Amino acid sequence: MTMEKPAETLISLRNISFSYKMRKGDRLQVFDNISLDVLYAEFIGIAGPSGCGKSTLLRIMSGLLKPDSGEVYFRGRPLNGPDPRISMVFQNPTLLPWYTVIKNVMLGLINEKGLSEKEKEERARTFLDMMGLIGFENAYPAELSGGMRQRVAIARALVSHPDLLLMDEPFSNLDQLTAITLRRELESLWLNQVLPISSIVLVSHDIEELVEISDKVIVLTARPSRVAGTVKIDLKRPRSRRSQEFYEYVDKIYTLLS
Amino acid sequence: MDPATLVTILAAIGYSWMRMVIALIASILFSIIVGIAAAVSKTLEKIIIPILDILQSIPILGFFPIALYAFIALHPLIGVEIAAIFLIFTSQVWNISFGVYEAVKVIPTETLEVTNFLRLSIIDKIRHLYIPASFPKIAANLPSSWANGLYFLVACEIITLGEAEYRLFGIGSLTVQFIASRMVFESALAIALVLLFVILMNLLIFIPMIRLSMRYRFETYATVIPHAWFERLVKPLTLPVRIIAHRPRFSEHWRISTRLRNLFTVMEKHKRLIEIAIAFTIIPVLSMIVSFENLIGFSRLIVNGFVRLGFIEPLTMIGYSLGRVLTATLIILAWTIPASILLYENKTLEKILLPIFQAIASFPATLLIPFIVDLTIGSGLPRELGALIIILLGTQWYMLFSLRGALSVIPREEEELFRILQISGFKKLAYLYLPRMTPSMITGCIITVGGGWNTLVIAERTILDHTIWEVENPGIGKMMSIATSIGDIELLLATTVWMALFIVILNRLLWRRLYEIAIRRIV
Repeated sequence: MTMEKPAETLISLRNISFSYKMRKGDRLQVFDNISLDVLYAEFIGIAGPSGCGKSTLLRIMSGLLKPDSGEVYFRGRPLNGPDPRISMVFQNPTLLPWYTVIKNVMLGLINEKGLSEKEKEERARTFLDMMGLIGFENAYPAELSGGMRQRVAIARALVSHPDLLLMDEPFSNLDQLTAITLRRELESLWLNQVLPISSIVLVSHDIEELVEISDKVIVLTARPSRVAGTVKIDLKRPRSRRSQEFYEYVDKIYTLLS
Repeated sequence: MDPATLVTILAAIGYSWMRMVIALIASILFSIIVGIAAAVSKTLEKIIIPILDILQSIPILGFFPIALYAFIALHPLIGVEIAAIFLIFTSQVWNISFGVYEAVKVIPTETLEVTNFLRLSIIDKIRHLYIPASFPKIAANLPSSWANGLYFLVACEIITLGEAEYRLFGIGSLTVQFIASRMVFESALAIALVLLFVILMNLLIFIPMIRLSMRYRFETYATVIPHAWFERLVKPLTLPVRIIAHRPRFSEHWRISTRLRNLFTVMEKHKRLIEIAIAFTIIPVLSMIVSFENLIGFSRLIVNGFVRLGFIEPLTMIGYSLGRVLTATLIILAWTIPASILLYENKTLEKILLPIFQAIASFPATLLIPFIVDLTIGSGLPRELGALIIILLGTQWYMLFSLRGALSVIPREEEELFRILQISGFKKLAYLYLPRMTPSMITGCIITVGGGWNTLVIAERTILDHTIWEVENPGIGKMMSIATSIGDIELLLATTVWMALFIVILNRLLWRRLYEIAIRRIV
């Protein structure tokens, strides 16, 4: 048996409570005292019943939303607002329709004061290449398919060399075939350590997808949500969806969900 | 024909166009600043939107003498010119401002989150997000703003204020002069040339811009408008516009020095504070422009005017004017509902008629007023009829285009359902067309009635080279026109305020409610 060295935490949520203000002054309690950690070099999947606040959790991790109480620590320091080392990919590709593909990716570097326009373009090109988009630099988003647009959005998220990539159901608006291809590519890029990122947090309602790709799946309960359980996936990659163990993990998560 | 006449006409068109272009550019800049501010800041929104709403309701010509006084005080010669441009500006600006406001308001949340995520500074957001996102709305509003400006061109190139008459060289004043001197050929030539230039303006600048702006929309299914035959004809000529706009990179060269950028970053940090400061400076700044003494004098003028007018007289005038405007609106509805359905169902007819309608719609109907005046005087027809025609000329087209637009978004499945059920004729009108048209019909009524009020100052009383032509019965527009020509500012201010108040109340109490009901029931 090997001694397990306590790995360092990349981002840590401590006792987070969060509620949305509703009309007429009511409050909708989304989280009540939730805590979770994401370690370095970890692929975390987050599952939960719909409306439980999975996307809200990601937005708290990203600094887009401030929790009512509790602390978010990123690399050991409190997180106050968006940080250049945390990036996010949304459900919809959200590109600016008036800019070309390369310009959209370069937006990810807009605050990099040290880089010249030329260097920014070079770097954007590298990531477009990685996402298989070479030749489309000067196309406009409207000319691309949904899958290609999502690739551009991923390239934009990666171009600033973040440590943490947050993904909010990035494959759910794509057709199944495109979704599988894109997920496989992303997984292999991550496993081969081609990506500049350390950890990924993926929110999804597709349990099989989470089991296939994650090191650990965190299952949330319904609102106000808590962590119902954490399932560590000890399966060799690439994982086959047809194996017995795969289904045991899927069942385990479904049990936690219900 | 004397070639000198042609040169004079072209020069006059050049002068008028110059005024309108300056006013349009000012309108766009104003709209970008004010529209974005209102859409981005909740505090400023609460101040800006009601102010815009009121300004929009004040009859444009009610502004004019007041502006004229202020600008002439500034500089006697250039003042008149600036006042004219200002009047054109007030006729072009509001729809563009509301357009920018709406465009920025409807930017998808995820896109806003992305820009927050990328930590774009406020200046970068304006440059990379807000301005490009407003482009489609700005472009779409340009043709109607241009038409609006043209409509009031005649009124702002010749203005009588008490004893003084100011006449600016331009196509509006020139045409009136031609008509007054019975120069039939020259008048016709001037009108034909204006029509030609309006069509060229639309074909060469506005339509290509609307096309280019399609890329700036967020809907990914962006509808492709097929090129009409007349567009293909002039396509080579639109090259300059396409080249300029086809470089989305033009904004990249819009470099801002680091110091300015830092200033904006600091400002963003204290956003709340600055908003409150802006909100609190608007009032003092406004009063500084008028100066405190003037402000007191100003309010005394209004109060005096109100006292002189009393209650019964203005209400009677408003009643008559409302009658005219509503009659015009009913006539408009009566012809545009069947016409829009006819165009919708018969595409061949539409292909021929729509461009013609668009051309007529953008033509300044005020240039025809002298003819209408002549007609009613010559034939002994009631002048009320003449007034009605003037109101119709200025306001009818919006309804037609808006109803036609409402029909074209009827889902295909609904059309197919009615075909399968074999419902047609009046039943189809009642069960499909009318419900689908209602929201646009109500907005159409709001715009038509609003435009109607604005045309009243011209429609109810017109002075053409010493011929005074006015409706037989009272009217608020007639009163405003009389007050302007005898230079009675008290009376003018009071009638303007009465009219604006009435319009605002009508909007709040009637139209907005109708619209909300329609939206809730149908959409």
